[in-house]
Amino acid sequence: MKNIIETKKLCKSFSNGGVQQHVLKNIDLEIYEGDFTIIMGASGAGKSTLLYSLSGMDKPTLGSVSFNGTEITKMNTDELAIFRRGNCGFVFQQIYLVESMSIFDNLLAAGLLVNKDKKALAEKAGKLLCAVNIPENLWDKFPTQISGGEAQRVGIARALINDPSLVFADEPTGALNSHTGKAVLDVLTDFNNRGQSIVMVTHDIVSARRGNRVLYVKDGEIAGECILGKYVSGDKDRHRKLSDFLVSMGW
Amino acid sequence: MEKTLLLTKSNLRKNRGTSIGLFFLMMISSCLIGVSLLIFLDCYPIAKKEAERLNAGDGYFMIGKDIDGFSNDKIMEMIGNDTDRIYTYHTLLYENASLPFGNGDVALYLTIDNRSAFTKPMNVFEVIDEDASIQENYVYLPYQFCTGGGFNIGDTYGFEILGEKYSFKIKGFTNVAYGGCNNMSWFSLVVDDKSYENIWNRDHDAAEGIIIVFDLKENVKSGSFLIKTRNEMLKVNSNSSINGFGLDHVISTRTFMALILAISILVLTALIVAAAAMMLANCISNYIKENMKTLGALKAIGYTGKNIKASLFLWFFVLSGIASVLGIVLSYGLMPVFSKIIVGQMGIPYSLKLNIPAILIPIAFVVLFTIFMTALSSKKISSIQPIVALREGVEAHNFRKNHIRLDKTGLSLNVSLAMKTFFGNMKQNVITFIVTGFMVFICIIALLMYENFSKHLKMELFSTEVFAGNITVDVDSKDDMKEYLEKREDVKDARQILNQFIYYNDEETFDTYIFEDITKMRNKDVCYNGRLPENDNEVVVSGKFAGDYGFEIGDEIALNFGDSAYTYLITGFIQTTNNNGREAILTTAAAAHIMEIDRMPGWFWFDLIEESEDISENKAETEKIIEECKERFGDKILGSLNFFEITEGSSTTFKSIGSLMLVMMGIISAIVIALILFLLIKSLVYHKRKDYGIYKALGYTSGNLMLQTALSFMPAIFVSTVVFSVASYFGANPYISIFMSSFGIMKCNFVIPIAGVVIIFICFTVVSFLIALFETRRIRKIEAYNMLVAE
Repeated sequence: MKNIIETKKLCKSFSNGGVQQHVLKNIDLEIYEGDFTIIMGASGAGKSTLLYSLSGMDKPTLGSVSFNGTEITKMNTDELAIFRRGNCGFVFQQIYLVESMSIFDNLLAAGLLVNKDKKALAEKAGKLLCAVNIPENLWDKFPTQISGGEAQRVGIARALINDPSLVFADEPTGALNSHTGKAVLDVLTDFNNRGQSIVMVTHDIVSARRGNRVLYVKDGEIAGECILGKYVSGDKDRHRKLSDFLVSMGW
Repeated sequence: MEKTLLLTKSNLRKNRGTSIGLFFLMMISSCLIGVSLLIFLDCYPIAKKEAERLNAGDGYFMIGKDIDGFSNDKIMEMIGNDTDRIYTYHTLLYENASLPFGNGDVALYLTIDNRSAFTKPMNVFEVIDEDASIQENYVYLPYQFCTGGGFNIGDTYGFEILGEKYSFKIKGFTNVAYGGCNNMSWFSLVVDDKSYENIWNRDHDAAEGIIIVFDLKENVKSGSFLIKTRNEMLKVNSNSSINGFGLDHVISTRTFMALILAISILVLTALIVAAAAMMLANCISNYIKENMKTLGALKAIGYTGKNIKASLFLWFFVLSGIASVLGIVLSYGLMPVFSKIIVGQMGIPYSLKLNIPAILIPIAFVVLFTIFMTALSSKKISSIQPIVALREGVEAHNFRKNHIRLDKTGLSLNVSLAMKTFFGNMKQNVITFIVTGFMVFICIIALLMYENFSKHLKMELFSTEVFAGNITVDVDSKDDMKEYLEKREDVKDARQILNQFIYYNDEETFDTYIFEDITKMRNKDVCYNGRLPENDNEVVVSGKFAGDYGFEIGDEIALNFGDSAYTYLITGFIQTTNNNGREAILTTAAAAHIMEIDRMPGWFWFDLIEESEDISENKAETEKIIEECKERFGDKILGSLNFFEITEGSSTTFKSIGSLMLVMMGIISAIVIALILFLLIKSLVYHKRKDYGIYKALGYTSGNLMLQTALSFMPAIFVSTVVFSVASYFGANPYISIFMSSFGIMKCNFVIPIAGVVIIFICFTVVSFLIALFETRRIRKIEAYNMLVAE
């Protein structure tokens, strides 16, 4: 399987009142194309730090991250921003739509960075919004005028607008109730089934079940890995397998 | 109190940038008010104090041309009863002398004295600076030659008088109450005793004059004394040329330009203070918005609205207090620049001293104004409910209009997003619009001053009639001269205009222009209200005089000359800064009611048939005409004046004011705009920091976001610059007229060069954009990751 990301000796430390905190320690990791990779771990284990280090949103202290063979750790802030445009899509727990823009413009503001053909882009944005079940009458609304679940689905559509190699999702259901959370997970699963590679951080076993590969981060290291295979709804063995893995990790 | 102090400290710590921005605005305001007050409050008293120190008395008379009959006893007989002290001395007095000054010449009264001038009991000359090594053939010039005329000790100073050329080494400069400033049309020179003896022997028949300096008795009014005495003197010898002025008039004339400078700075400061006030209100409003949660928490734990407001008052009180004090210190630091110009205008030594009102007024104004604005802007705090504040006052729904749809607009992405920011921040746009507009207005007024004072001196506003040259001939040659000038092909509108002092009520003296043919008057705009006199019972008086005495157009006014008086109908008002705003215009027929015009010499004023843009060409052309007149009429010519020559000399002192104002206001405008943009952009970046984080996460670079933010200010700046450029073009003159009316100019018609306005427009747009781009650099510090982990 082709890897999209490969890290070597990835370390991330923070200085807190003069005391160094090593959040990530010498992580060697590969993320594969087409996978729905889940990163789990206890609070403060370093899973979000790992996600953002992988995506070039945060700079590691040591080690390297290669994205499709390009080492992104050597890039400066602006180079990273340009790199992210076409390669990464992001879905955040707090959603982070631009509140002063309509939903449709939120997608276009991301898409126009890569695709200058406004007509084609508008068509694509419409298709994506339909795909994430946002009815057309909401497209001109502003983010504060729609529900949290709808907003998160718009966030997913925005993450996908530039056909990124990889979508990074940081607890995308964390701020949603179970019903709207499920709808968001369904959308992500659906796109993964269509070939979209996804890395998702979660501490929720129900969400984690959607992935085909689960990594467990403990004390800044990848403590274990569980391969679940493609998600099939209502697969009880999958759930048990994941539960056993997590228990073995001390979750 | 402790709570308030704690909150104030916290506010200062948390709002360092805002505090610094406001601090500088307050400091600039205080500094400019301080400078204008220092000039305003210092000039007149300093000039008066110097005059008293030099024993200038209450005024002087100058008798020239023919002094027969004016013995010391006769003078004592005429004015002894009204005066406490008189000092009379004989001097060499030249009327209409042309002296090199600045870039040209000045035409005025010239008196020449010997070294006894330094030991006179009244109107004593004081040496300011000298080179003792220069022992012969030297001249002491009035101090204004050094400060405004461009001469230095050791330079050679040459001039021509009564056909004789003189050349002296400048030994030093003198401080003298009368005869020390070109604004009062009299320069007094002191030459070495040997040179004086030579000049005296050559010229005393033609140029012996008498200066009478007097101290009036307490109950004697200066105005009526001067008129009465002048009339009596004319009875003694009607061929004499007699001038007399009170000390107050002389000082007003000397300090006139300095006061214009002070008022100009004050007028422009008013706009800067208005901009600062607007920013203060905006900052407090932003403070409330940005600290809504904190305010809610404070209220929830028991702080009252008063406690919170008290901390704001203390914050801005401390800020404005320190800023205004430093502003005053800065104003004292800048005063040497201004005092150089003031001294150049007044010709009086000026040493900067502590001026308590000029210190206290700006401090009190800035502090009280800040407190007032704080009280006004912080009203909202009392009504904030803690629970609403804790929710950051966010409403569940915020319905907005999508002004720029990204899929529909033809604009580029950066411009589209900039326009979205623009439409989403109308408050910011209004402030930017108004502040930029004020600064454009300030710069256009400074441009106006530069154009009309420095580049092309607008003499029409400072002289009732403008002309190329004038020639005075004796009474018998009037008709010949008229015919000769009218026949010349290079002369246009040769006109007889007599200049005489006439009086109102024995208390006001009008410098009166008497026109043989009023239709040939060139500066008709000087009559800003009503019309020029046409009939023999009509007069036009200055608007300042009319305002002081309550005269309206259509009223009658009795004017007298000597013993003759006549009642005229006022048909209009003229504007003038000369003679303390006391000037009038009559026709020859009207003047004939009170004076014997036919027995007076002929004053012919003329224009060039074609005037060039090049002053030196006009000067040479006028000189050629005057010389040819002299050749033809010989000793019938009593005097001549080349207007272009004296314009160059007289404008020297104006030039520095115009240039200073342009440079100063350009710099101040740039600083104020930078400060305002700093405060607005700081607030905008703070409010949009989350959006910037999102944009960066999506792949926007800092450069993209900086460009978008800077561009979002441009529509307001652009529209404001256009609107205020046009408004200033049409509104600057009426605005200046409001403030110039106290000097006698009621309706300004200064020239505003369109090219200059366009340059200001371009500069404002480009400089504002660059400043905005520079100020947005703080966006670089925003990192998407920090936003994500901060939540």
